[in-house]
Amino acid sequence: MRWYQRFFRRELTERKLDAELRFHLEQQIADYVAAGMPPDEARRRAQQEFGGLEQMKEECRDVGSAHFVETLFQDVRYGFRQLRRSPGFTVIAILTLALGIGANAVIFSAVNGVLLRPLPYPNSNRLAQAWSTNPHTNRWGDWVSYPDFVDWRAQNKVFEDLVAYRTWLANITGGDHPEALFAVLASSSLFSVLQSQPLLGRSFLPDEDKPGHNRVVVLSDALWRSRFASDPHLVGKAVVINGESYTVIGIMPPRFRFPLNLPEGLPAPSAWLPLGLDPSQSDRGSHNYRVVGRLRPGVTVSQAQADMEAIARNLAQVYPADESLGVKVAGLEENVTSEVRPALLVLLGAVGLVLLIACANVGNLLLSRAVTRQREVALRLAIGANRSRIVKQMLTESVLLALIGGGVGLLLAFQGLSLLIKLAPSVQRLHESTVDGRVLIFCSFLSLATGILFGLVPAFQASRTHLNEALKQSGPSRRLGSGPRLRRMVAVAETALALMLLIGAGLLIRSFVGLSNVDLGFNPRNVLTAMIMLPESRYSAPNRQAAFFKEAIRRIEALPGVESVAAADSVPLVTNDTGSVSVEGQPEPTLDGVGIQAERPKITPGYFRAMGIPLLRGRTFTWADNEISLPVAIVSEAAARLYWPNEDPIGKRVSESDESEGRIVWRQVIGVVGDVRQDGLADKVRPSVYTPLSQLPMPFAALIVKSRMDPSSLADPVRRQVMAVDKDQPLFSIQTMQEVVADSVSNRAFQTVLLSLFAAVAMTLATIGIYGVMAHSAAQRTREIGIRMALGAQKRDTLRLVVGQGMFLALLGVSIGVIGALALTRFMSSLLYGVKPTDPMTFIGVSLVLAAVSLVASYVPARRATKVDPMVALRYE
Amino acid sequence: MGEEKSEFLKGTLDMLILKVVALGPIHGYAIAQRIQQISRDFFQLQQGSLYPALHRLEDRGWLKAEWRTTETGRDAKFYGLTPRGRKQLGTEVENWGKLTDAVALILRTAE
Repeated sequence: MRWYQRFFRRELTERKLDAELRFHLEQQIADYVAAGMPPDEARRRAQQEFGGLEQMKEECRDVGSAHFVETLFQDVRYGFRQLRRSPGFTVIAILTLALGIGANAVIFSAVNGVLLRPLPYPNSNRLAQAWSTNPHTNRWGDWVSYPDFVDWRAQNKVFEDLVAYRTWLANITGGDHPEALFAVLASSSLFSVLQSQPLLGRSFLPDEDKPGHNRVVVLSDALWRSRFASDPHLVGKAVVINGESYTVIGIMPPRFRFPLNLPEGLPAPSAWLPLGLDPSQSDRGSHNYRVVGRLRPGVTVSQAQADMEAIARNLAQVYPADESLGVKVAGLEENVTSEVRPALLVLLGAVGLVLLIACANVGNLLLSRAVTRQREVALRLAIGANRSRIVKQMLTESVLLALIGGGVGLLLAFQGLSLLIKLAPSVQRLHESTVDGRVLIFCSFLSLATGILFGLVPAFQASRTHLNEALKQSGPSRRLGSGPRLRRMVAVAETALALMLLIGAGLLIRSFVGLSNVDLGFNPRNVLTAMIMLPESRYSAPNRQAAFFKEAIRRIEALPGVESVAAADSVPLVTNDTGSVSVEGQPEPTLDGVGIQAERPKITPGYFRAMGIPLLRGRTFTWADNEISLPVAIVSEAAARLYWPNEDPIGKRVSESDESEGRIVWRQVIGVVGDVRQDGLADKVRPSVYTPLSQLPMPFAALIVKSRMDPSSLADPVRRQVMAVDKDQPLFSIQTMQEVVADSVSNRAFQTVLLSLFAAVAMTLATIGIYGVMAHSAAQRTREIGIRMALGAQKRDTLRLVVGQGMFLALLGVSIGVIGALALTRFMSSLLYGVKPTDPMTFIGVSLVLAAVSLVASYVPARRATKVDPMVALRYE
Repeated sequence: MGEEKSEFLKGTLDMLILKVVALGPIHGYAIAQRIQQISRDFFQLQQGSLYPALHRLEDRGWLKAEWRTTETGRDAKFYGLTPRGRKQLGTEVENWGKLTDAVALILRTAE
């Protein structure tokens, strides 16, 4: 008979088992009678030999696989009954588990969405990024020159194909309003490397890379919808970009995004155009491109690295511009997520600890229930249940609890994830994270593991019940072997885990406070910034660019409430232009043999006033510093100290022009200003060399408007004034500087808030755990305390007795936690700012807080114990 | 039956049952009798181990069971060997042979 037949025909099976055993018994009796025994005697003897019928039946049932399923159903039914019988316990346990599992599901969803999910291109594990490295000056970061790219592409044997691309800010006009277009210029291999095709129309033809053939554009789904009302016949039509006509050849699917790793604050690109460059016309010295390649099947990143290195060595010998260049290849997936990886992994670890604490708490609850259920277990053992059956049934109950908790937790996770996405808008790919199949599997596995983990100890404990002792006891039993010790150990473990989390959170909070107190060097209050990109087609002459900004600034300054206005190609914490700076009469300044990068903002006269950057010496720029006057510069304090230590920088000469540009323009230093955090709050202050925008005009600049009131109300008036100067000129990325500052630390804020939240949950759970253990232990010692007090012990002594025990556990937990934290916090050192992972202040402070909380948690039950009337306590039996 | 008499070595009970059943369909009581007789009362099979073992062997697919009427006209559950059971018996007998040979060898040479 198959197991399922046996399962569905249980009654029949039972009857047959009964019949079989009865047949044996009667056969035996018959044999005894045949051997001459009196029938009564024969029956008695046979029965005696036969032994416990029920027990044997139980063993026979136990062997079948049907039995497993069958008893599982029984156990589940019984478990539900047990849980319903104590709703308080059930609700608390389920909520605790839901919190723990839900938090894990949320963070795992994020990890899954950001780190584990493949990039949105087919076979994305074969995509790799390649870039030039310069060990000597470290100047190029991850940028590549176009001629190098062409040589890489032609000579390598490891990539199917490579694509070079750069971002391009342009304006799209025609239609009712001009709009800033954030576009990507790429070699024609872009879509074939990504293996992604437009939904409508076609991708680039190989020929469209050539100069003169590149007037085509592929649009994003979002732009197609918003600007062209999803026009199904747009493909083939012309659009006007920077005043020139381009033919739309394709519309990408909604989910297509490229590139993925853009600097924070930039919108997703909405158009892709062919580069249209002639390699022979390009400068091998200007590194303006990023390169992504598709590895041939079976080629690893390290093989690619070796092949590309050989090519780079070759190029270094042929071209002087490549002399000191190396190359680096890295998987694209790894590259995209490298920034958020440590933070997410720390959070995943933290949330795992929270779940462990939740497990400990529920385990503790189960242990105290195991005490009250001891008689039930003893009774079941006495009537023939075997111990493994009891363990299985207890485990079923705890797994049941965990599964319900996991289900509720999953519901919480849906909410939690959308909250998380709102909290951390700038984490790459986070907004695409969902609770998907993988999260569901993770959650189910976690619930099962959780249930077994917190259920195992109480289950075994219950099964070790001593029959006689348990049955003899009348009331709830007191001496329970290892029970109280186990519960105390669990409380110690909880305290240790909570302490580790609290220390992690404490370190992050201290980092964040440190960052918030960083001197920005500028005053973000009441400052509005808006970016502008002048198309080369209409602003090719540099003086026209300067004239545009001068006129726009004049108009905006006339607006009511505006204090001062400026334009600059760099906005602190948003955009910057770093590069080397030459100092007249000095070798290139280096640090550890690597060239020092300087900030090189181009600004209009009102910049320092609008940004609130103090002028320390000399004068600022005026509109009289223009393209025909003496070239001038203003340096920051750090630059002055670095380039001319102990000398007056005024009158000295510097140049920010690259040697590759051919000629060096020396600029006279006319002033010194305060240092500014240009790159990020956590980054070191770099030397800055400011030059007048009118001497070095730029098509791209940010307007900076300082006002007397909340600057966000100025966005529309400013836009109108700009359109009054040029009706085709859109503004984009309009933000207040205070928003910019907040955004620049939003990822850190997110980590800090989340870890603090987890730590708070952990501390609450641990406190409840300690309280529970102490309350239980005090209640169990009621009689002992009564005797002590009857014999003359003071309340103070009793208090000390109970509190002392609680504090012993707390301090043990704190000590273990400190050791654990010392081992673990170094994994989060990349998330810290201004504090060491072993910061003594944090370790001591947090330990004291936790000890204080534990003191309260054991004081409350201790006080209750001292209020016991000795007579009542003694009569308690 | 005295409990001290002789415990079965672990695993040997299954082999003995398979061996006895291999002679032809037989019910539980007769299996116990047969083992006791053949071993000249050395093995006294307790029902407490016999029936769980029978059910276990049936669950593994080595024995098949059938209800039949005995010569005395009573319904009894008769066990028979399945092809898989026969194979299993072969393996166990072979292993047993090896085991006893090895043990005997040690007992002989270690004196």
